[in-house]
Amino acid sequence: MIDTGMLRTCVRDGIDFLKKQKDVIDAEVFASWNEHITVRINYTSDIPCNGIHEPKSTQGCGIAVRVVFGSGKETKVGFGSSSNNITPGGVVEAFNKAKRNKIYDPDFVSLPAPVGKAVLENYHDPAVFEISDETIVHLGWQGLKGALGEYNQKRFRTSIIAGGDITIIKERMAIASTKGIDDFDESTILTTNITSMIERENVKGTGWNTSTHVSHFNPEEAGRESAERAIKTIGGERISSGTYDVIFGRQPVADLFANIVIPALSLSSVNATDTPFLGKLGQMVASELLTVYDDGAIKGAIGSKKISCEGIPTGRTDLIHNGFLVGFLANNYLSKKFASKVASFVPRNGFRFEKGKRSHTRQPGIFPTNIVIEGKEEVSGRSLLSKLSNGIYIGRIWYTYPMNGLAAGDFTSTIIADSYVVKGGEIVNPLRPNTVRINSNIMDIIRKIIAISNDKRQTIVWGSEEVVHTPEIAVQGVQLDNISDFIG
Amino acid sequence: MHIDADITPAATTIQNKERKRGIPIANRIKTELIDTLRETVVKVIRQTGSLKDCRYVDVRLGIYEAKYAHAENGKAKGMGEDASLSFGIRMLAGEISAWGFYGQPVGGIEAGPKSFGKILDLGVRKAYARAIANANKKAELKPFASSLTEVTLAGTDARKDTLHSVFDEDPRSVPVKEILALCIKTSGAMHGIGKDVPYASIDVQTGIHRELFCSTEGACIDQAHALTQGTITVVAQRAGGVPEICHDYLGDLRGWEVLQGKNIYRQSLADFAWMRAHETLELTEAEFLPATNEPVVVVTNPHFNALLVHEIVGHPTEADRALKLETAYAGRSWLLRDLQDNELGKQIASSLVNAYSDPCVNGYGHYKYDAEGTPAKRVNLIENGVFREFMNGREHAAILKHRPNGSMRATESHDVPLVRMTNTVFANGNKSPAEILAEVKDGYFIVNHRIPSISESRENFRISAQKVYKIESGKITKLYRQGGITADSKDFLMNIDAVGNDFSIFPIPNCGKGQPMQTMRVGNGGPTLRSRAKLTGHRAG
Repeated sequence: MIDTGMLRTCVRDGIDFLKKQKDVIDAEVFASWNEHITVRINYTSDIPCNGIHEPKSTQGCGIAVRVVFGSGKETKVGFGSSSNNITPGGVVEAFNKAKRNKIYDPDFVSLPAPVGKAVLENYHDPAVFEISDETIVHLGWQGLKGALGEYNQKRFRTSIIAGGDITIIKERMAIASTKGIDDFDESTILTTNITSMIERENVKGTGWNTSTHVSHFNPEEAGRESAERAIKTIGGERISSGTYDVIFGRQPVADLFANIVIPALSLSSVNATDTPFLGKLGQMVASELLTVYDDGAIKGAIGSKKISCEGIPTGRTDLIHNGFLVGFLANNYLSKKFASKVASFVPRNGFRFEKGKRSHTRQPGIFPTNIVIEGKEEVSGRSLLSKLSNGIYIGRIWYTYPMNGLAAGDFTSTIIADSYVVKGGEIVNPLRPNTVRINSNIMDIIRKIIAISNDKRQTIVWGSEEVVHTPEIAVQGVQLDNISDFIG
Repeated sequence: MHIDADITPAATTIQNKERKRGIPIANRIKTELIDTLRETVVKVIRQTGSLKDCRYVDVRLGIYEAKYAHAENGKAKGMGEDASLSFGIRMLAGEISAWGFYGQPVGGIEAGPKSFGKILDLGVRKAYARAIANANKKAELKPFASSLTEVTLAGTDARKDTLHSVFDEDPRSVPVKEILALCIKTSGAMHGIGKDVPYASIDVQTGIHRELFCSTEGACIDQAHALTQGTITVVAQRAGGVPEICHDYLGDLRGWEVLQGKNIYRQSLADFAWMRAHETLELTEAEFLPATNEPVVVVTNPHFNALLVHEIVGHPTEADRALKLETAYAGRSWLLRDLQDNELGKQIASSLVNAYSDPCVNGYGHYKYDAEGTPAKRVNLIENGVFREFMNGREHAAILKHRPNGSMRATESHDVPLVRMTNTVFANGNKSPAEILAEVKDGYFIVNHRIPSISESRENFRISAQKVYKIESGKITKLYRQGGITADSKDFLMNIDAVGNDFSIFPIPNCGKGQPMQTMRVGNGGPTLRSRAKLTGHRAG
């Protein structure tokens, strides 16, 4: 395992080396070490199975350099990396690549300069860096035991499925530049997402748990929660196609934001002219109840980092405030490209994430950290439910995509679990999973918000890098279509 | 192996100093390195014989050597040439055998046989510790959960074979500056069409992938393939209108010739990009497709059917999904409720429909051996409308009591193999597309796929199209934009009443599955089809 001191020495020595090279105007050296552990749960009561299918991990380290070269009239910029080599030789290898691959990019302005002071310090769990193979396997079985224990207690022993994973991410990085950046970061993330089913009853439940510290991590509770939620939805009914008032629960809110709203609130999408928010900065784009921001410096939150992968301290970036579009997520490159007299974008979100890790093989892109959704006047969950006289509580959706591109705003997804029919402000019956498709437009959804709950929870979505701190949100007039009649 | 020859004088000085100080210098990673490391892999595998209760081990060692470039609106955004080396170890161990896995990228500094041997040995120990801990827990819980079973792998021949990559022009010989120049020129030409094309980008990669697979059963397979791909993105927008976006690929498992016209479109990358840019611009003047509440007659073209077969035939016929291993992620399959109650041998499509998955033919899903060393073969998924077989791996084959059919792949060698589509397609029919269209009195022609959304067990889909045309009395008339179709999968398959003779396979480079998610390239396609589905359109936001 590479320690942070080695990474810091490497980037500092690397900058000293790069400063001495011919034609180098500015340079940045980034070094990281990461390990990504996954313990995948797979239990099927009626099909031979492993319980824990495979405990696995990948780990790696490396160096990335960005170098600004000045020769002749043009300034050129080059990127290079070296894998698994935190030595001066690694810096040389990366520099050679950067020099060989330098280009003239007229949109490139300069490398990041130091800004402010980081808020978070020592927020990681040293015990996670030392976690044993036996412990990671144990955590996986704890998740499964939680689900099976609940089913067993309620006397459901056949047609059971329990799937999901324990994911543990350990990250260390350091960065130094000729602009004066010289910093490091260490983070630890533990997540579990468990889906369980009583398949013959067509019911499915979801449970999850997140933590930055192993002592607070509770996969067993996530397993139990998934089973409890599945059992609650036995006897689900179909609904006919139509327009309904709905409450999006935490997982659907996280899914909609991670797959549609947040990508559209990134300068990457502005750059590609593929966002419904283009040209709307300062305008009202959503219900006045809605406020959305990214904050990478929330203590104890699993999306938090001390600094970005460009060495900029994390912090709060307001995106939508009381319905008004007030900002976009930015990295250094695009924040400078799009800076103007009337708008500036703080480059707090330049990360090199790849499968949840801070990868040296990537140049900084734009990634969210902790997305926080707030209401202007938040209400209790009970009060939220009372807003629906005849509607649907949607607890989990799946395969949410912008069908005609982000800019058009059209999206669809299917309701797959944890959902209920609501009448007169009360839950009256479960909704049968996999029988309803949502067909809507995201701009409609955020404009027609009628209430936002006051209880938030850190929620993750499969395949996404960020964490969404989600309340439940009530929305008027959402098109829901009955599907899959042939499955009964 | 050789020391990087392409280094600057300044860097050479530093390197010489480092050598004198005993600082190790990285070796440049090239695909030939596998020849050097093969014996180390074989030796480490042999040594696992001394591990107690170790039942099976395989090691995959892979190198991807590639060049790439990217440009937007005629401006350079990046280029490079690089190589990655990584390995993955799968192990079965314990009294009730269970899996343990370890994977890691390796740097040039560790790529000598001695250092690599140490890293691999450490990886074996990690995989073993995990497998043993896992097996012990399985044994502990088994009295309360009888379906917990030791892993059995269905038998397959342990082959020894070497397969070389196929290309006319070696990707490694193409100057990276030439690749960048192509990106700049092509994206500039697209953007230069006019002010209504605000964004155009081109990404190109070309390279060679080589992987060594060795197992304790005696398999030792060394196979390589070239990969060349161009990705285009173009945005067109009339003043104040909703932008129209096109994202498409040109690619094959061959060399640089792919982007010079040796591809499914028989077009150079520049011509292909130009065509897509003009089509996208043309769409901005079209009306939005009105959605329908009832199914209508739809004719779907081969490009659209590539994504359709991917979603409604390919994914539900993956055995790991059917056996519920993807319940929490990519979903299950409506084709298998349990081992007794399933659709095997039952009619799930019109008798005109045949579909298969064939890694033996050319396309993005081509290979000779899968990631478990099983020889590749054609898997007949649907024959005359009857569902026949799942794509599987050895463990799934054993559970289903089927023969393994070689469908396991991992994106990188340090990833765990999963069941993946290969070249998964609707089979060719015998009607001309012109005839299929001419028979339609009132319907829609759905042209080229865009974005899919599929329900959890693949029983319902919505897929958007790049273009939709009205068909009136057998003639293509009006063009619509932002449209697509939605249907229950079985209904769509059962309603197919015409299958064209214009079969094609398209590259799909971005199929996501697994946890952590792996993005895989597959080939998908088929001929023109005619069926019934509801139309979907744009909802003003």
